Amino acid sequence: MYAVETQNLIKRYGKTHALKGLDFTVNPKEIMVLLGPNGSGKTTLLLILATILKPTSGTAKVMGLDVAKQPTKIRQILGISFQEARGFWRHKPAEILHFHAAICGVPKSERGAKIEEIMKGLELWEARNKLFMHLSGGQTKRLEVSKLLIQRPRFAIFDEPSSQVDLRGKRKIWGEIHKLRDEGSTILVATNEVREAEYLADKVTVLDQGKSVVCDTVRNLKDKIAGGDVVELLLEPGPNNTEELREELSMIEGTVNLVVAGENQYRAHVSMAEAWVPKMTSLCYERKARLLSVRVTEPSLDDVFLHFTGKVLETTTNA
Amino acid sequence: MTELLRILQLAGNDFSYFFRTKWLMAVLLSLNLSDMLVVALVYHRLMDFNYFQFFVPAVVVMGLFVAALDTGRRIWLAIREGVIQYYLSLPISTKGVVIAYLLAGGLAALVYSSSLLLIALLVLPAHAIWNTLVLLPFFFVLAMGLAGIAAALAALASTHAEFYFAYQQIVQVVLLTLSTVFYPIAVVRQYLPPFLVSVVSHNPLSLAAEAMRQYTFVGDPIQPWFLVNILLTSIPFTIVGGLTYFWALRTIQVKGKL
Repeated sequence: MYAVETQNLIKRYGKTHALKGLDFTVNPKEIMVLLGPNGSGKTTLLLILATILKPTSGTAKVMGLDVAKQPTKIRQILGISFQEARGFWRHKPAEILHFHAAICGVPKSERGAKIEEIMKGLELWEARNKLFMHLSGGQTKRLEVSKLLIQRPRFAIFDEPSSQVDLRGKRKIWGEIHKLRDEGSTILVATNEVREAEYLADKVTVLDQGKSVVCDTVRNLKDKIAGGDVVELLLEPGPNNTEELREELSMIEGTVNLVVAGENQYRAHVSMAEAWVPKMTSLCYERKARLLSVRVTEPSLDDVFLHFTGKVLETTTNA
Repeated sequence: MTELLRILQLAGNDFSYFFRTKWLMAVLLSLNLSDMLVVALVYHRLMDFNYFQFFVPAVVVMGLFVAALDTGRRIWLAIREGVIQYYLSLPISTKGVVIAYLLAGGLAALVYSSSLLLIALLVLPAHAIWNTLVLLPFFFVLAMGLAGIAAALAALASTHAEFYFAYQQIVQVVLLTLSTVFYPIAVVRQYLPPFLVSVVSHNPLSLAAEAMRQYTFVGDPIQPWFLVNILLTSIPFTIVGGLTYFWALRTIQVKGKL
């Protein structure tokens, strides 16, 4: 059984189609990252799975429970960290976390210690006496994430978990999300930050205009781009460094394109550089052409997105 | 953990929110206490009957009314700030969220008006404290009814704060004017047609003010039918308000906004 499954899921806001017949699955105990630009339907999907929005048609199930028919049961196993932090303006962070922990059934005897540990871990402890309305954007975001880290739900949803958070904070949040997965939670993360997706994802689903374009592991997605890996070669000047060698290099299996990038320099666009490079080095050895340097650049998820949708992914951290 | 316990936790959270809005507390208390003071010093000497004794219950009921109506402001804020979406993600049913808000509204209003009553009792001794204790649960039901009105107004006002405050003012003017909170029924009979007199006498605010005058400050024995009347006139407000708020939450779930 899938932890999450949607079939022909449609969500309309008036005339706007946010989700257009989405088929989507998440396996138990994996981190699925939804990657897509603003308006691709990521947040709408998350809100439907969190039972906050009702689908217009189609089905969506969480742990086998239908979001439209059994919302209260689903709410007992899920937690959501919103894109924009939701807090009570006149409460302090610890009070907000105590309320969340209590209503989510965290035993009273454990609450205090857990809250202190999580707040210290996410560097919120110093702000414990500030009111929510006086917290910075990064602090409210950390607080939002903290709710789930205290609750530790079976199904955790994070909507742009590290936006507005500094680099150090991002690393901590990502580490905590991994820990949560390792403890057995199924995790769904929506982001338009490539680095966040690469760091977190067991699998990535690319969403565009309310539809799933492709879903696979990061490695497989990158490998699916023909010529996505770029290999730059620098050869020692010499008699064996000839046009013939260039032609032979371009004939290696997996080569999509090979161009002269400068004197004794080549740039090859290849599929799966890890297989191409050994063949290339063997060939150079056989032709007695000495390699001075090899530089491999693999495609980013930006390139993956561009490849599958024909669009550039927005990567502003706050988008 | 049961649904009931979660409702109580949510209600407790909203209840505490009312008392955390310190500027609101200061404004409400200063207005209500200055009303009492002005009446004590001025009106009392101008009138030929003890208007202060008549007016103190009015201030208590008005405190109950205003504090209960603040439920709408909190609901409106929760909708605007997206806190309502947070509530809808918690392990509590949508009905539970509605009930929690009404309970919190009722309780906050009861606690606030009781504090006014305690202050009033310092200068105006009650003849029957026991009667007052009997009245409090009925006042709580009335406050839930008023919170229901506030919830309905907040739902109708959608995301426009100014609409909510305008609706609140209209309700305030209508409910307080058409009541015996500030003037006796004899005065109402002099100026209003009979059907409006009937409305005034069945207004739950009139009933609450009269109950406090007769049973707390005069010390008459409590008439059960009077208390039943408070329930019968308050419960419809609670139900209508609860249903309207529930409809608003459903609308948010379907449309994503109000």
